[in-house]
Amino acid sequence: MSIHAKQAEGPLGKERVFKRDPDLPLSEDIRDLVFELEAEGEWIVQRVPEPYVEVPRKDGRAKKVPLQHTWHHKSCGQCGHIPGYSTAIFWLHRKLGLEYDDPKDQTSCTGWNYYASATSNAAAQAAVAVRNFAAAYVTGFFPLIHCGTSYGHYKEVREELVKHPELRAQVREIMAKLGKPLVMPEEIVHYSEWVYAVRHEIAARKVYDCREIVVTVHPACHYYKLVQGDAIYDPDIYGGQRTAVVTAVAKALGAQVKDYSTWFDCCGFGFRHILVQRDFTRSFAVNRKIETMLEEAKPDVVLTHDTGCVTTLDKSQFAAQVHNKKVGVPVMSEAQFAALAMGAHPYRVCQLHWHAADYRPLLEKMGIDWKEKWQEFEEDLERIRRGEKDYLTWEDVDAEIPARHFLQVS
Amino acid sequence: MALHAPPKLERYADIPYEEKERLFQEVKADPRFPDYLYGCYECGICVAACPSARFYDFSPRKIAQTLAREDVELFFYQLNEDVWNCSQCFSCNRCPRGNSPGGLITIMREVAVRNGLRSAKEALEGYSRVIYKIMATGTQVSPDMIQADAFPDWGPVAKETADNLELWRKALPPETMHTTSTAWEVSEQTLTELYLIWHMTGVMDMIKEVDEGLHMILLDVMEELLEERGYALAE
Amino acid sequence: MASDVVLVIGGGPAGLEAARGAADLGAKVVLVEERDHLGGTPVFERYAALTHGFQDAEEVMNRLAQEVTTHPNVQVKLSTRVVGCTGSKGDFHVTLTKVSDGASETVHAGAIIVATGFQHFDPGRETQVYGYYEYPDVITLADAEAMLKARKFVRPSTGLPPERVCFIQCVGSRDRQIGNEYCSKVCCGIASKQAIEIRQQVPNCKVYIFYIDMRMYGYWENEIYWPAQEQYKVNYIKGIATEIIQKGDKLLVRGEDTTLGRPMEVLMDMVILSVGMEPSKGTREVARILGLKQNKYGFIEVPHEGVDPVATSVPGIFVAGAAAGPKDLDDSMSMAGAAAMKAVAAIRRAIAVASGG
Repeated sequence: MSIHAKQAEGPLGKERVFKRDPDLPLSEDIRDLVFELEAEGEWIVQRVPEPYVEVPRKDGRAKKVPLQHTWHHKSCGQCGHIPGYSTAIFWLHRKLGLEYDDPKDQTSCTGWNYYASATSNAAAQAAVAVRNFAAAYVTGFFPLIHCGTSYGHYKEVREELVKHPELRAQVREIMAKLGKPLVMPEEIVHYSEWVYAVRHEIAARKVYDCREIVVTVHPACHYYKLVQGDAIYDPDIYGGQRTAVVTAVAKALGAQVKDYSTWFDCCGFGFRHILVQRDFTRSFAVNRKIETMLEEAKPDVVLTHDTGCVTTLDKSQFAAQVHNKKVGVPVMSEAQFAALAMGAHPYRVCQLHWHAADYRPLLEKMGIDWKEKWQEFEEDLERIRRGEKDYLTWEDVDAEIPARHFLQVS
Repeated sequence: MALHAPPKLERYADIPYEEKERLFQEVKADPRFPDYLYGCYECGICVAACPSARFYDFSPRKIAQTLAREDVELFFYQLNEDVWNCSQCFSCNRCPRGNSPGGLITIMREVAVRNGLRSAKEALEGYSRVIYKIMATGTQVSPDMIQADAFPDWGPVAKETADNLELWRKALPPETMHTTSTAWEVSEQTLTELYLIWHMTGVMDMIKEVDEGLHMILLDVMEELLEERGYALAE
Repeated sequence: MASDVVLVIGGGPAGLEAARGAADLGAKVVLVEERDHLGGTPVFERYAALTHGFQDAEEVMNRLAQEVTTHPNVQVKLSTRVVGCTGSKGDFHVTLTKVSDGASETVHAGAIIVATGFQHFDPGRETQVYGYYEYPDVITLADAEAMLKARKFVRPSTGLPPERVCFIQCVGSRDRQIGNEYCSKVCCGIASKQAIEIRQQVPNCKVYIFYIDMRMYGYWENEIYWPAQEQYKVNYIKGIATEIIQKGDKLLVRGEDTTLGRPMEVLMDMVILSVGMEPSKGTREVARILGLKQNKYGFIEVPHEGVDPVATSVPGIFVAGAAAGPKDLDDSMSMAGAAAMKAVAAIRRAIAVASGG
């Protein structure tokens, strides 16, 4: 085989597939440094439990995503304001027969407050992070982080702890006073990476046809911009040039993912802005994101993978109606959408009544009878109201669809 | 010092230069500073990616430039006028020089809070309940924050949620989520540990600088639990 | 035993010039080239005009190749790779294999000149999101060269001439996140040269260059930069782009116009990424085989570049052209001459020492 000069037609005839040159040196891998510090006795590294799935990272390396025995680091914004988000993540685990822990020995990462008000500091933020890591470690379950901000922030904390011995010493001392070891997980894993890792298992269990559903994806800044190297990039999704989470899941479910020209824009959450400067948040979310999506892609649903993005894109639409803005598209996490496709109850599991933009047309298009489902949920509420039940339980929900056999891990 | 001070800087002409310089040095002394600022060749990538630059007269590039040039007067102006406009989305982390303008702003905000700047107090007005929530309960936001009068722009769902809050929370399958005043149920031991972290890392002192009332309320709440669990706080 | 042969590795501009120079000085030269043709990247990538002087790249390279192949002192081995090397200054034994059948032979050489060159940065690794692997209308400088050479400068998506084209400078260069902190030196000039060629070939097309700094040193300023602006009305805007994304049938380019200090969003028919230089695969491989120190970017390290621009970490082995870092053609040719002179001096000295002189 000889190496000829390139063909005359230039890029017209060229098939472009990005392949990372295996001979090129890779940038520094923070995980190596994390393990080095363990070898020096600085901290304990919690290993990703087997079985895990190896998924491709932006920097060309592989990331281990645990399938089960995960310690669910919940999100305050999800649990507090869009509880169907967290519930859907748990429900997916249950349906796939994967064991998880939903701990009470967990605080928020406090990153939302830190990025909003700066009424904290690097040591406090690191101490909160490693306190949660230690809490996970003692259970033997591995942290799976629900919130994009917690995920990005914890990766930032990991870098700071690795780079600054004095910070490590300070935090180790604090942990000693709390009677806890200094622990760093081998990987910092976001729930959307787990959903990505099990997307084909989810797709295999889908009970509604999603082929007519047009999806636009909003990627979360704190997922792929804050600390970039270990976000998931898949050569089959956007040519490996944009993060693959969420999009890969929607595609696996058979939905039509459509692009729009402000894909990379932030949602406008702003941390402090969503709470005390909402004119910014609303304007940005509607003018830059929702209107552009509706004009260019006409989605049936906007899927994203972070707390603030769902809240911002969903809740900002109502007020814009008075300005005759083009709004009115449901917003939810890909976990909720995947759960719906797998037959999860839109109210008992996905808790869509907490969402502001109208989701009912989406359910109708998917073939889900929301009136009947709401009736069922109303009856649940009535039973609780009458005192016949204290709570809606997992047993109530799990009973709906027979649990499939355990996930086969190859 | 800027040779020709732009008119906008006159707003802070009364503040002694030494005070501005002191705050500037405090920002530079943060251990993260060298990782967040290398140098700037004004490629504009941070501004292109910045949501706040599309809404406010705000430029992450100018923050990086000012700090790199050590322009103390302009720094002080930005410390008071600009830093609270940042969305902290860190889209600017794509900087090819490896700068993090958003990270620089995190440091600047921290310095503003730690020194109790009036602009920081103003920026955090109306935000105290959120600081209280995260520091006192361990979860940042809670279901009972959704009230119709607090979120009129969220539409009818806010009122409906508020009206049905307890019932709707009971209709959540995860048993940790039946709470209304916290996002999930946080155990008392966990909370005790969080309080100890706030005290041991100087966060309580930062709160005292920006909101004395909040500081007192937080101390009360924390002391009660800490004493109950056998921790005495040394003042 | 000392050898009087100079082995030149690489048949691009620097390798050809080094071979010609050493041969003219009376040395026996063996020139090894992995590809099946001489002329290096300018011929392989089908460059149009050379950036300095606007001569036709293929013509210039063919003329040079012709002089080398017909030189009585030069033996050219095409489709041949270097796979092993033993010995030292004056007495190297270099193993070569044929790319086609793997047949190997050994060359006994007194000195070696490495001229293995560069490769264009792959925009798939860029920190910013330029969509080279998503949109056919996003192309690189090299792609544009081939189109300009073919005098068929059209939008790949439609086959029609573009109305608005922009260049984005410093793709893969001057970037700490990628790890290429260096300037690739030639891209400002090449982009400006191509902008002129586009304006010549597609006169109705508006051309923009988004840049951080225009590095148009020496005569590039008055021969390329000023004519591009003054005669060809190319628009230079200080500020580069963070993203390129499809909007309708156009490409939306998002950057900052830093002179205005505001975010900028412009629609283009085509975007040309001014990709920088990285060491070629051959440079990395040959450096490893010959035991040459490489710098952190993989280019061959030149210990005292300012005063001795062609020496490597191994005595008797010299480097010419972009194997030693980003170089323009002027630099590559000058280095080649210097390397030829040093190599011939080295073999003569070694022979003199061996014969007790």
